Amino acid sequence: MKVGDVFSYSFGAIRLRKLRAGLTTLGVVIGIAAIVALLSISQGLQVTITDQLQSGFVTDALIVSTGGGTAFGPGSNLVTETDFTLLVNHTQLINEIEGVVTSMPIIQQVGYIKSGEREVTSYVMGIDFAKYADIYSSTFVAEKGNIPLNPENDTVVVGKRVSDPWKNGTLLSDVNESVEIIWVNATVLPPTNETYVGNVVAVLEEVGGFSFVGPSDSAVYIPISQAQSFFGTDEVDSIIVKLTSDDEATIDRVSEAIEDAFSGQVSVTSSSAVLSIVSSVFSTIELFLAGIAAISLLVAGVGIMNIMIVSLMERTREIGILKALGMKSRTVLAIFLSEAVIVGLLGAIFGIGLGWVLANAAATIFTGGGFGAGGGQGAVAGEFAITPVITPTVLLGALGFGIAVSVIFALYPAWRASKLKPVDALRYE
Amino acid sequence: MVLAKPVVETADLKKTYILGKVPVNALQGVNLKVEKGDFLAILGPSGSGKSTLLNMIGALDKPTEGKVFIDGVDVSTLNDNQLADLRRNIGFVFQFFNLIPRLNARGNVELPMAIPGLGKNERRRRAEELLETVGLKERVDHKPAELSGGERQRVAIARALANNPGFLLMDEPTGNIDSKTAKEIMGLVKRLNEDEGVTIIMITHDQQLASQAKRIVKMLDGTIIKEIDQL
Repeated sequence: MKVGDVFSYSFGAIRLRKLRAGLTTLGVVIGIAAIVALLSISQGLQVTITDQLQSGFVTDALIVSTGGGTAFGPGSNLVTETDFTLLVNHTQLINEIEGVVTSMPIIQQVGYIKSGEREVTSYVMGIDFAKYADIYSSTFVAEKGNIPLNPENDTVVVGKRVSDPWKNGTLLSDVNESVEIIWVNATVLPPTNETYVGNVVAVLEEVGGFSFVGPSDSAVYIPISQAQSFFGTDEVDSIIVKLTSDDEATIDRVSEAIEDAFSGQVSVTSSSAVLSIVSSVFSTIELFLAGIAAISLLVAGVGIMNIMIVSLMERTREIGILKALGMKSRTVLAIFLSEAVIVGLLGAIFGIGLGWVLANAAATIFTGGGFGAGGGQGAVAGEFAITPVITPTVLLGALGFGIAVSVIFALYPAWRASKLKPVDALRYE
Repeated sequence: MVLAKPVVETADLKKTYILGKVPVNALQGVNLKVEKGDFLAILGPSGSGKSTLLNMIGALDKPTEGKVFIDGVDVSTLNDNQLADLRRNIGFVFQFFNLIPRLNARGNVELPMAIPGLGKNERRRRAEELLETVGLKERVDHKPAELSGGERQRVAIARALANNPGFLLMDEPTGNIDSKTAKEIMGLVKRLNEDEGVTIIMITHDQQLASQAKRIVKMLDGTIIKEIDQL
């Protein structure tokens, strides 16, 4: 029997029992939709996070830290906690390494920006303005005012969200205004509030990314020397190292040299390394989500098997007739399997469609609610929008998986159908 | 002159079923020969073993002992695939029609031609031709449920003829239709035998129906008790 005839025969059988076939297919639809929705959301999330990270990244820079204070928080460091601290003048050691153009320390603390009765949480960053502007030339850019390369002692540059935290034109701080930065000094007992007063000379353009060590919408910037005296420390969170080149060999060589220079007590992170960590974290998440969704598809598979066994009993006589007419066992097998292929294919196609719709609906809810820069304290997170992404791999994988599950669960009933003896099948009432 | 091989030949055919725990000797040594162009009626009451014989001749079941030759081929030597191919050369007509309900008359007649992979246009043309032969030209698009018993059996006969089989194997072909229609069906069967030279083996318990055949074998308790030549 020709393949086309087999499928047309099977399709006829499916059409005869529309409701049953529809419900069987629905199982596959739900399973595939779950897989597609979860994967396209998580891939969309990965794209969003990667984009946001990249918006604050430069490829020809490394970040040296003791491991305790990166944006990824405790636990993300690759070296174990030690008594070692990174100091402002450690840049001298780094600058001697071949392949390093320059390096600059960053002192970072969390503080409040206060204006009247209102406060917004913010990162307070002590930086070298000239070097920072050089390294982050595309993001450390003023929207209002000017960023001085030789700042005065009271110079303050603020991020977009610090200036306009509620996004409604009510400004918390603006150019040529004085600003109060409050820091809770917990190094003394009892902890005391210390206030730093500065003059805003520039508001940054919106960066849109997470604050790593690059420019952030939720940070205020003060000269490093001022930070040293205000926070009363030479201890730095990280040192940014500008390299002569962004090729992998340079990154690897300099990273190693820096680690050696500090006897392995620092961690050196490149933007590509961060991105690869993000990507590997997401691979794990996706595998986990797909695994959960796959369970629902397996349930659908059991449903298919169940229905096909019932259908097999109902059609025993038909199988007998087909065999009496000279149909071979393998053709009977092909007919039953092609029914499964049709169910799997239809289920996968509708499932991909439904999954896509669900993913978009979920993304809209995500974007509209939860994240966003809500006003008041704690408005540190930036803008956050997910666009679901469906890759050809997910598309073809879902299609293949839908069909494969249907066919695998149909194997047993189809095999049983093909093994029926014609004389018994014809006698079956 | 070389004698053609018999269309069907059985040699000391025996079949024993196990019903529950009791062995039932359905066939106890049947010798039968059917030549090309023959019209044989196998007559016997219920339980005489005629249906078992039909299953053997139709290559639907295998004998316990003895041999069945179809076109000179020993059926017992064939594997499942070869048996399936062999069955394409047999035109089955069943008492309960056994049409595929969801296919219309044309689709049912096309089905046996689709199995060996005949092209769509070719089998459609032949199906319509066959349905015209059995007098159902106007009913080709009707499904079995929309046809009378007699019409269904005509579709079944057209289907049986689809692959130009070596012989028609009919199991009580008029057992489930009224006597007037039964006469028409028998007229059709006789015409196929006499005009088209189709070899026919018909199983029935109806004496009158059997009398239409050229030859009758009477069965009782799994053996042939009498052969009557009506020519």
